[in-house]
Amino acid sequence: MSAPSIRARLLLSLLPLFILAEAVIGTVSYRYVLSESHELFDYHLRQMALSLRDQGAVLPPPGPPEDREQFDFVVQIWSADGSKIYLSHTRSRARLPERATLGFADVVADGERWRVYSTLAGGRVIQVGQPFEVRERIAAAAALRSLTPLLIFAPVVALAIWWLVGHSLRPVERIAAELRRRDAQRLDPVPEEQLPTEVEPMVRSLNGLLERLRRAFAAQRAFVADAAHELRTPIAALKLQAGLVARARDDASRGAALAELNAGIDRSAHLIDQLLTLARSEPEALAGAAASIDLARIAGDAVAEMLPLAQARGSRIGFAAAPPASVRGDQKALHSLVRNLIDNALRHTPGGSRIEVEVAADGQAVRLSVDDDGPGIPVEERERVFDRFYGRSAGGDAGSGLGLAIVKAVVERHDGRIELGQSALGGLRVAVHLPRVADATT
Amino acid sequence: MRVLLVEDDRMIGQAVQTALRQDGYAIDWVRDAESADTALATTSFDLVLLDLGLPGRDGVSLLRTMRARHDATPVLIVTARDEVQDRVGGLDAGADDYLVKPFDLDELGARMRALLRRSAGRGEAVFEHRGVRIDPATREVTRDGESVTLSPREFAVLEALVLRPGAVLSRAQLEDRLYGWGESVESNAVEVYIHGLRRKLGHDFIQNVRGVGYFVPRDESQGTG
Repeated sequence: MSAPSIRARLLLSLLPLFILAEAVIGTVSYRYVLSESHELFDYHLRQMALSLRDQGAVLPPPGPPEDREQFDFVVQIWSADGSKIYLSHTRSRARLPERATLGFADVVADGERWRVYSTLAGGRVIQVGQPFEVRERIAAAAALRSLTPLLIFAPVVALAIWWLVGHSLRPVERIAAELRRRDAQRLDPVPEEQLPTEVEPMVRSLNGLLERLRRAFAAQRAFVADAAHELRTPIAALKLQAGLVARARDDASRGAALAELNAGIDRSAHLIDQLLTLARSEPEALAGAAASIDLARIAGDAVAEMLPLAQARGSRIGFAAAPPASVRGDQKALHSLVRNLIDNALRHTPGGSRIEVEVAADGQAVRLSVDDDGPGIPVEERERVFDRFYGRSAGGDAGSGLGLAIVKAVVERHDGRIELGQSALGGLRVAVHLPRVADATT
Repeated sequence: MRVLLVEDDRMIGQAVQTALRQDGYAIDWVRDAESADTALATTSFDLVLLDLGLPGRDGVSLLRTMRARHDATPVLIVTARDEVQDRVGGLDAGADDYLVKPFDLDELGARMRALLRRSAGRGEAVFEHRGVRIDPATREVTRDGESVTLSPREFAVLEALVLRPGAVLSRAQLEDRLYGWGESVESNAVEVYIHGLRRKLGHDFIQNVRGVGYFVPRDESQGTG
């Protein structure tokens, strides 16, 4: 389920903000106008009262009538004996209280709040009053006016947000469209130019993933191509060997041809086994449930398995192991690793050679080393021997050409490292370091 | 016919060697370009079977150096590389033919015969000389229409001599065409085969120049019967 759109979220979260802003602005301008009008009208009231006093007459109040309408004030004049001399005519017909405090006072008359200014003049009391309501009305009108531009502006802001969000997200749309057009073969990076800062990390990570995928696919394709190519050689041999069986003229040559054919079939089967092992051990995370394994035991088993082959070649394999040598990993893969190392040593040394296999703890690692007294590998070739099918045929007895590639893949899968060096025996030394774990309880 | 086989795979090399020996070829088998260079420098071959994917130096590189020193020995590339550009590259580097693995022994034999035929400047697949008819493909020999049975080595000697009528081949040259390295040569083997051939094909079919070697006399009426 997708989250609400950015547009909707922006608009929804801006709406309360907008309302709050309206409220604050309205209140502030109302208060401000109200206090301003207090000052102004108070001044007016006072001026009016003073001018009435100075005129000394009971005359209509000054100012133009339309002003009066808005001004909406009441004038009351009392004589010294308390009789009302004058009461101005107003639309409210309000009556000011009959008792007055000199100066400004807030009074309530007929349920209405008034602002009244009273002054003494020659025994008379002059009172000028105005309902508060007038002032409040003016302030409210002013507040409302101040809100108008904001109210008009609100839809404009909403539209602008709508457009801006769309505009900012256009690169995302563009990338989406670009990715939609692609098939599984197109794994080149999507363009990173002109991306908003917020989107860039996502696109960069996507490109990183694409690059990793591209490499993995390329490796896979190269592997399949290599494998198919390398299968030609054993199959070519099989075809020739079968041809020899067919053209054999006597039992002896037929027997010899059949033996060769059998050896050819064994070789093809071995190559396919090795290919499968390699395909299974291509670098990928080791399953989390990898068991703790005693590498010494695995190496011992592998040495025992390889002994007949060694004896057939007149070679000797020595084995030494010192605990602790527990590693975490895939038992079958590690077994195949040791086997391939010994097999490699046997194949690349002349018959009657000596091979030493050792397992020992080395700091935080377990070291498995295979030494031989063969010709070794020149330094400049040491990196390349891990390539698939490298040197398939070098030396006396060709293997599948995958042995060291398998070894390397298994080592990488177990977070280990592998080194080729000069052996004290005179030939090649292959040392594999795997992370050591606490000893297995079994 | 002496053939140099340059092939790094033990099983393929073994099978090709066995098959061609059965066909009476003298086969020298080397497993890398350097050994092939040495062999070519010291021995004269009628044909080279060349694998391209060799350890160390590549087959094409060997071919180029061969052609650069004007060695015109026919070269048949036998390789697992089947891309068009590989084939074009191989032929343009100086190969005479190109065969992709896996291949059939019979096809290899036919292509080798075709190359040997062409290098001898001949077009026809069957030799006919003074009433003796030799079919290298079926290894059948007839004399005046009657079938003659020859051993593979006798056939090889006859083929070598008939290929260039009039040309004298010494005993050593004939031995070269009969035996690869490591094959033991009986001291009078060539004389034994020549004797056998004369008995089966007529005494004057093969003549000798004392102290020099053997030859098949040129036939003035060749081509008409």
